[in-house]
Amino acid sequence: MITRQIEVPAATENLSVLQAFLEDFWQAARLPLEAQFAFSLGLEEVFVNVVTHGISPSGAGRVFASLVADDASVELTLRDDTRAFNPLDLPAPDLEASLEERPLGGLGVHLVRTLMDAVSYRRVGDQNQLTLRKAVVRAAD
Amino acid sequence: MNTTLDTRDSATIVMATGRLDFEASDPFQKELETVIAQAATRHAAVLVNCAGIDYVSSAGLRVFLVAARSAKAANVALSVYSLSVAVKQVFDVSGFGRIINVYEDEASALAGVGSAA
Repeated sequence: MITRQIEVPAATENLSVLQAFLEDFWQAARLPLEAQFAFSLGLEEVFVNVVTHGISPSGAGRVFASLVADDASVELTLRDDTRAFNPLDLPAPDLEASLEERPLGGLGVHLVRTLMDAVSYRRVGDQNQLTLRKAVVRAAD
Repeated sequence: MNTTLDTRDSATIVMATGRLDFEASDPFQKELETVIAQAATRHAAVLVNCAGIDYVSSAGLRVFLVAARSAKAANVALSVYSLSVAVKQVFDVSGFGRIINVYEDEASALAGVGSAA
C-alpha cells in the first residue's frame, strides 16, 4: 500500500501542482501510464469545481488531496473547506441534445462518473469530501 | 498546448498538441476563434488534427462546443480528425460525435470538406 497527500490553496494556478503530485505518485507506485488519464481528469474536474464554485467562509479555501494505491486499485480523495456542495446531485447531461441546445457546462461530473468505477460524496464536519476509485492493475516487477 | 497552422486552399488545418486542460482552454479558444474568422473570409473549412492532444477535460470539450457554434454562425465547416485515445474516449462518453464532425484521418476530413461544399 502506497499513500501520499498534499494540501494547496483553492486557486487555479495550483492545478499544475496537483497534477505534478499525481505524476510523482504514479511513478513511485509504478502504476501503468494508461490508467493515469482517468485520475488526472478526475483531479482537474473536482479541483476546478471547488475553485470556481466553492465559497469558503474563511476567505481563501484549501484543498487536500490524498492518493492510495493497493494491489488492485487506486483511490483519490479530495477534501475542501468551502460551503457544502455535492456535485453528484447535479442532473445528468442530455447527451442527445443538439449543438444549439447543449449547455456549456455540466459534463465534468459526468466524465468523472463514467471513467471511474466508484465516486462518492460525504460532508465531513465542515468539509466536502469526494472519493474516486478505479481498479488499476500494477505492472509486474 | 501548442498549435501550428497549415493553410490550404479549401481548409485551414490546426495541428494541436499537448494537454487541453482548464489552463490551456482559454488561449486555445481564442486561437480557434481567430482561425474560424479568417477561414470565413476565404470560404474555407477549419480542420483540427487531434492526434497530439494527449489529455482533454470538460474545459477542453467546451472549447470544441463553442468553436462549433462560432463556425456554424460564420458558415464555416468545422471538423476534427485523428483523435488520440484520450480525446476519443472523452468525445464518446460526452456524445460529441453528434454535434461535431469527426473523421478518421486528414484525407477523409479533407474529402468531407469537398462533399459538404
